[in-house]
Amino acid sequence: MSLPKRILKETERLMADSPPGISAAPKDDNLRHFDVTVSGPESSPYEGGIFKLELFLPEEYPMNPPKVRFLTKIYHPNIDKLGRICLDILKDKWSPALQIRTVLLSIQALLGAPNPDDPLANDVAQHWKEDQSGAIAQAREWTRQYAQ
Amino acid sequence: MAVEEPSSATKLRKSSPDLFFPVSDSEEENEAPVVRSSATIAGPSSSSVKKENGSSSTFVSNGILDMDAKDEPQLFFGSQNSDDIVPLDIKPPPPPSSAGPSSTRKRLMSQSPPSSIPQNFEAGYLGEFVCEGWSLSKGKGYCQPGSKVVFERPKPQKVITEEDARAAARSKEKAGPARLVNGKVVGAKAKPIAGKQMTLGSMMGKKGAATPARKPPGKPVVDQIIRFRNERGFVGRLSVQEAGFLTHLLDTGVIELRGHVIDCPQSLSTGATILLNVKVYLARQAFVKVEKAGRKEEGSFWQEQKETIEEEVMRKRKDALGALFSRIGVKPLRSNALLLAQKKNGAAVINETSLKHFNSPSRPSSASGTKRSPSPSKGSTGIIDKGKGRASAVNSDEEEEDSGDEAEKLDDEQMNEIDTIYRKAQQGDNRLEETDPPNTFLYTLRPYQKQALTWMNARETGDTSVRDQSLHPLWEEYAFRKEQVEGQPIEIEDEEDFVDPSRKFYWNPYSGELSLTFPVSNNKARGGILADAMGMGKTCMMASLMHLNREGEAIDNPEDGTAVDGEEPASKRPKFKQVTLSNQWRAVPTVPKTTTSARATLVVCPVSLASQWHDELGKMSDKGTITSFMWYGNDRTDVDRLLGQEGKKKVDVLITSYGTLASEYQKWKKNKDKPNYEGGSIYDHEFLRIVLDEAHNIKNRTALVSKACYELKGQRRWALSGTPIVNRLDDLYSLLHFLRLEPWGHYSFFRSFVTIPFLNQDPKALNVVQYILESCLLRREKSMRDKDGRLIVDLPPKTVDIQVLDFSRPERQIYKHLEDRAKRRFIQLDAEGRAMSNYTSILAMLMKLRQCVDHPLLVLGKATAEDDESAEKLLDPQTGDEKTSLKEMIAMYAGGATSETTSDAETVDPVFAAKVLKELGEQETTPICDLCQNEMFDEVLLPCYHRSCQDCIVNWIGTCEDQNEQANCPSCDKGPIGFSDLRSIQRRRRRVNPITGGYTDDEGLPASQGETAVTIGKVDLVSSTKLRALVRRLEQMRVEDPEVKALVFSQFTSFLDLIETTLTKAGIRYLRFDGSMSQAQRAATIEEFGKKTKEPVILLISLKAGGVGLNLTMANHVFMMDTWWNEAIEQQAIDRVHRLGQNKPVFVTRYIIKGTVEKRIMKIQRSKTALVNASLAGGASKDKQASLADIKKIFGLGEDDSEDEVY
Repeated sequence: MSLPKRILKETERLMADSPPGISAAPKDDNLRHFDVTVSGPESSPYEGGIFKLELFLPEEYPMNPPKVRFLTKIYHPNIDKLGRICLDILKDKWSPALQIRTVLLSIQALLGAPNPDDPLANDVAQHWKEDQSGAIAQAREWTRQYAQ
Repeated sequence: MAVEEPSSATKLRKSSPDLFFPVSDSEEENEAPVVRSSATIAGPSSSSVKKENGSSSTFVSNGILDMDAKDEPQLFFGSQNSDDIVPLDIKPPPPPSSAGPSSTRKRLMSQSPPSSIPQNFEAGYLGEFVCEGWSLSKGKGYCQPGSKVVFERPKPQKVITEEDARAAARSKEKAGPARLVNGKVVGAKAKPIAGKQMTLGSMMGKKGAATPARKPPGKPVVDQIIRFRNERGFVGRLSVQEAGFLTHLLDTGVIELRGHVIDCPQSLSTGATILLNVKVYLARQAFVKVEKAGRKEEGSFWQEQKETIEEEVMRKRKDALGALFSRIGVKPLRSNALLLAQKKNGAAVINETSLKHFNSPSRPSSASGTKRSPSPSKGSTGIIDKGKGRASAVNSDEEEEDSGDEAEKLDDEQMNEIDTIYRKAQQGDNRLEETDPPNTFLYTLRPYQKQALTWMNARETGDTSVRDQSLHPLWEEYAFRKEQVEGQPIEIEDEEDFVDPSRKFYWNPYSGELSLTFPVSNNKARGGILADAMGMGKTCMMASLMHLNREGEAIDNPEDGTAVDGEEPASKRPKFKQVTLSNQWRAVPTVPKTTTSARATLVVCPVSLASQWHDELGKMSDKGTITSFMWYGNDRTDVDRLLGQEGKKKVDVLITSYGTLASEYQKWKKNKDKPNYEGGSIYDHEFLRIVLDEAHNIKNRTALVSKACYELKGQRRWALSGTPIVNRLDDLYSLLHFLRLEPWGHYSFFRSFVTIPFLNQDPKALNVVQYILESCLLRREKSMRDKDGRLIVDLPPKTVDIQVLDFSRPERQIYKHLEDRAKRRFIQLDAEGRAMSNYTSILAMLMKLRQCVDHPLLVLGKATAEDDESAEKLLDPQTGDEKTSLKEMIAMYAGGATSETTSDAETVDPVFAAKVLKELGEQETTPICDLCQNEMFDEVLLPCYHRSCQDCIVNWIGTCEDQNEQANCPSCDKGPIGFSDLRSIQRRRRRVNPITGGYTDDEGLPASQGETAVTIGKVDLVSSTKLRALVRRLEQMRVEDPEVKALVFSQFTSFLDLIETTLTKAGIRYLRFDGSMSQAQRAATIEEFGKKTKEPVILLISLKAGGVGLNLTMANHVFMMDTWWNEAIEQQAIDRVHRLGQNKPVFVTRYIIKGTVEKRIMKIQRSKTALVNASLAGGASKDKQASLADIKKIFGLGEDDSEDEVY
């Protein structure tokens, strides 16, 4: 099956000119399936960590959003232990004007600005709300442990 | 040579019988003349015969003379000089003891043909067989084993008819020799040869004995009585079954018989069985050409007429000879592959069918005559069976059975494979030599074209060595046997052994003719069929031939037959005039001898190709070497004057159209017989060469245009056609008739050998056609390889890109709706068992679906036939609810959604809006769409002043609606937006008016350069996925190659209309070619398309009108907008571009919409193109059942509907 031109273009651009701290490359056997790495933003508990994600472009893309999931264990109120991400643009706020690049940048931004008020991992969010520094330390510890 | 009036024969008859056998007295003789054949008595070994050669005449075979033959075969051909024949074993010339013999001799002489039979040939020994006879005598001592017998025929009495007159003449001829024997015997007292013969003296002695029990021959009772008697006058008759086929041959003097008694009762009683050994000789008379009365009525003859008397005689002779050959067990030494193949499948069948033409009501068991290959039950072993007294029908019965059995074994599958027909003609063609065209021919020929030149040249000059020369297809080669000599060890003749050519003779089992000379496969036809596949340069090859063979041979004017016959480099055999049926049947109008040798070539072609011929000939020829002239239309110049021109104005090639020719023909036919007719018609001119381009135009033999072509006078005739057989084998006949290829160009022959067997599903028809084509047809295909294994045609690569597109949402909704309804209706019909009777309306429903895939608006097209009724019902279902919905959907589609309220623009940042508007005016490049990341296509403006492709935003709005969400601007999330909020942005570009070629703006007003105007209007949704994809691609191509030329094919002209509109809007120049255009318009369009331009030109072609003949190699892009049932048709369309002369890579783009009938049609297309072709496209009723299964698949109802999601 032929790949829509848009996907090809996006892929090309991602490979040639990837945003800082982000890399994404399609798998050999499925060009809609990307291996992604995102480095933790500076001055965040995830700094220094390299997080692996997988990204899949559904058939309806770009009318429907891509599916993204963390593969690396991460301690974050909006990311559950299965790696699922709570991000509005991946849900109802999706717009076809968005791209893989913007999605990944948003995810990177999410690492820098956890939002415990709209949690996905409730226990983490709880921890974050009650003991932010403890939670950040935990996050830093996990980053060291799993993402380095 | 002296000719004597019949009276002398009569005189002789009176005198001679008494001299020898006192069987009949002269009175009886007068009443019932006896036809006798050979008269040896006593001993199977041949009698001593005296050979007489005193006069300059030749003996016509008979009786005793024949007997020499077996021992001294050289006698047949011993000398050609009639004056000094001195056969070795011949006794000195006998004293002319009686006047009878010599006068007879003279008379006979006059009967012998002048050239085809060696002068001293008398008869050839064919073989012997055993048969039974009945005694008509009583008593002892009349005969004993070993005594020789003479066979004779009572002359039947009949009403005198023409036939009888002839028969009588023949029997007189026959009677002559019989008497001659007697006379000679009497006169010469011939001595035994080699001491083996019973002496004549002894015979004479016996003759003197009483003949008490002799029965007078009596009045002829039955037609089929053959009597035999020995020297003692003993009389018996042959059993009816044997006599059956011998009588005719005896009557006409074709054979002579000699025999002896093998076994008989000591004492004879009437009706006692006597076993006889009969030796059969083919008499000289057999090889005499039989004149045909049919010849003079050539015009009407070959429309199937009642068989003429001559034909009846020949038919009987043929049947009888066939039976005789089979009875004796004579096998052909050589027979052509065709006949052999037929025999394998049962010889009787083909003959049965071949006889149908000569359908005479009184055809008793003629098939019996046709089985030539002896089966074990026939030869000598079969005699015992026969001896048990079978009726005369034995032969025929047996063979009918045989043929019946074997006919059932025939393989029907062969009928389907037209391609196999060509295969034989193609064997070894890649080993043909190459011939270089002369320098005056400017093009470079490819190797295979040079090979064609070799072949064509050979066909024109009559050189038969290029392909092996073969025995005439209808003839078989036999050899006379060496006669067995009694007492000598039996010589077993091995068929493999070399056979002395002088012993060979030839038989045509179809006409009954016999010949002593080698009948060469007829080569009189100069020319042939050049049937190379489309796009291989037939025009080019023919042009090179025109350069190579500029002049006809000086000797020429091969009038009718004779000259050519002489020229035939037949073989090293003595050149006797060939006796073939074809000589007689040449349907050639007598060509008046002209003194000037013909020089011009006449090219007949469809009007649309005339100018192409003219142009190409001009381009290919060195200046002034070959000039062509287009001769058609209303103001045609005088042909004579035109072709008479010399020097600079001379015309070498006259190009005319089939239509022109037909009207000339009518004129000529009307006037030619008027006394004041002065000539001057094209039909009064003899051409060097006549070329029919697209020769399948004359496939109908009764059409005026075909007749017009047949009547043309030309020395060489060529038919060019990529499809010599269009859909019936009969198509070929017309071409063969035009070529005057004998004998196949004769309708009765063709019908007997091809048409009727083919109708009877007899695969032998294909054998015959293959055989015919082998000699006169050259066909190569693009896929063939040369002797080194390379493709003979090396075309630039062709890339086929199948673009699978997805409907926009509204399109899919409409389509789905339509498809569901069609499916339901079909299931309903099928369940009720009415699918078959509603076949056409089902096809109409499918048609609607296929149209919808192109563009939803096409569905609303007017219903053309009542068949469309149910298709219309798709749109107007009874249920009111749905009724509104579909039509409304389409209406909405066409007009854009009639949305409720337009969202206000108050929230839009005015600065941004201003910027956008400014940009719109200034922008040089097309912006990138946020959604598809491509340059915007069908740019639309959203209320928020963001822009997008129309497709993308429509799709987005649809997606949101599906999810019950409101659609917001993808870029700024403002909303909601609906279809009606979109505004299309039209930029006025400089573009070319397709008609005037000038630059205009959208309103057709001249636009000032460099100025780009922008209008923002209501979104025009009257487009479709395929249309947009096409335009997008074209726009892209325009950037890549500003001079690109492309073809766009669709099967719906209404879709072409829509494409036109879209292209106009997009500012892409286009031309159109469809079936509604006149020939002149078409030619003008093609010419226009071929012009060099600085901008892209698109040619919109209707698939059906533009599929054939066109050469459009100036384009190298092809777009197939929809899927036709038959892939071959699409292939043909692509071949307009991908053919010789194309030097750029060819790109083919096919548009397929995902999840629609198209996908399934393609699937079926691949699986069985042929069936789909026959049943769906042609509407042939025969295969409805099969196509219903296909339709089920198209609806996705098939059992194996594996929904591979590729499309």
